Amino acid sequence: MADLLTASDESAALEDLHTRGFTDGLPVIIPTPARVSRMVLASGLEADMVLGTMGPGHGIATIEKVAVAAVMAGCLPDYMPVVLAAVKAVIDPAFDLTEMQATTHCTAPLIIVNGPARHTCGPISSSYGALGPGHRANASIGRALRLTMINIGGGRPGTSDMALLGHPGKFTFCLAEDEENSPFPPMHVDLGFDPDDSVVTVIGAEAPHSVLYSGDGDDPNGYKSLLAMLAIGIANAATNNAILTGGSATIVLNPEHADVLIKAGLTRQDIAEEIHQRSTIAETAINKLAPGFARKDSGNRDAFKGPEQLLILMSGGSGLYSMVMPSWCAGPHKNSASSIKVESEFFCEVPGLANLVI
Amino acid sequence: MRDGINIAKLGIPAVALVTDEFWPQGDFVAESLGMPDVPRVRLPHPVAGTGVKNMKKIAAEVAPAVIKALEAHNG
Repeated sequence: MADLLTASDESAALEDLHTRGFTDGLPVIIPTPARVSRMVLASGLEADMVLGTMGPGHGIATIEKVAVAAVMAGCLPDYMPVVLAAVKAVIDPAFDLTEMQATTHCTAPLIIVNGPARHTCGPISSSYGALGPGHRANASIGRALRLTMINIGGGRPGTSDMALLGHPGKFTFCLAEDEENSPFPPMHVDLGFDPDDSVVTVIGAEAPHSVLYSGDGDDPNGYKSLLAMLAIGIANAATNNAILTGGSATIVLNPEHADVLIKAGLTRQDIAEEIHQRSTIAETAINKLAPGFARKDSGNRDAFKGPEQLLILMSGGSGLYSMVMPSWCAGPHKNSASSIKVESEFFCEVPGLANLVI
Repeated sequence: MRDGINIAKLGIPAVALVTDEFWPQGDFVAESLGMPDVPRVRLPHPVAGTGVKNMKKIAAEVAPAVIKALEAHNG
């Protein structure tokens, strides 16, 4: 069982949680035993079931402790399966959570949700402003993961989380893929999951960088400009992807840009390959700009080991801007992306539970 | 949308051209600027970047609606 704190009322409890460094700086829902029990009940799992340890503090993530974070973040019980999958994804050793939490780089776990859980555990937005304010599931699921990283993982600014500045996605960073309108197969299907699966993919990501491209319907080769712009966005000489190389990156296409590429006859794999081929930089350029990272060999360096390192999805409103998120590219596994199936079969649907005010 | 409203407020007949995707935002702006009934004509989305031929086609299709809206304004 988690330790139980006492306070005279909820206001005092909130101040106590702030003082102890248990919050993200914003007000939280007080995780009373009744609220946490309800969240555990919704998971359909035992409270003391261990999911793994979270670095850098190596705290043990149990269902109950994750439920505490979910309550504090403002999650509905419906969201629990997605929160649990996200926690399991960052615990995956390939994700390098310990190193990622400790780095001076500005990286945060971007949560991408695919499959039916987008609706049954949400709705998790994949439309206008999906990464901005106004979407309860997106906001609270991402926040819940962050609170587990603070309170179970022990990541706190300036002592164990050494991000020099951080970025706003460290509060919350969660979206869904717009599978219904995307011209591509769902991302989780291309990652090897079944279409009916719900999957949470987590990747360490910088804040979204905008890539502006206004198409020209009269130019049959216009799509090549879009591919080039996306490659510049994720692997320009200032990024870790270009300097450290071998890490992953995320590309969130808006519907117009996805349409340009699909009309050019490109599949998701084709797009990844095309961008991979364009994500190169001359060693002479690195030598001039960042000699400390220059290599002895001449020629060009590839930012990515291959197209499989590029996560490509469609999300957001329709317009001129897609988003790219370069990554940290360090840690033993280069801070790889991690995909986990949402275990919703254990989810306990209790009539009226979601609306019960405790 | 805001341009159309500002021009209309100067007493100059104006019709705002709004694409499908931005129609709800057009309603919001019109309401918030106190001209909920400002004339507007709906365009498909997107228009920008779809090529000169397509843009000419869209222009030809919506021109009667623009003229009609302007005539209604004058009437």
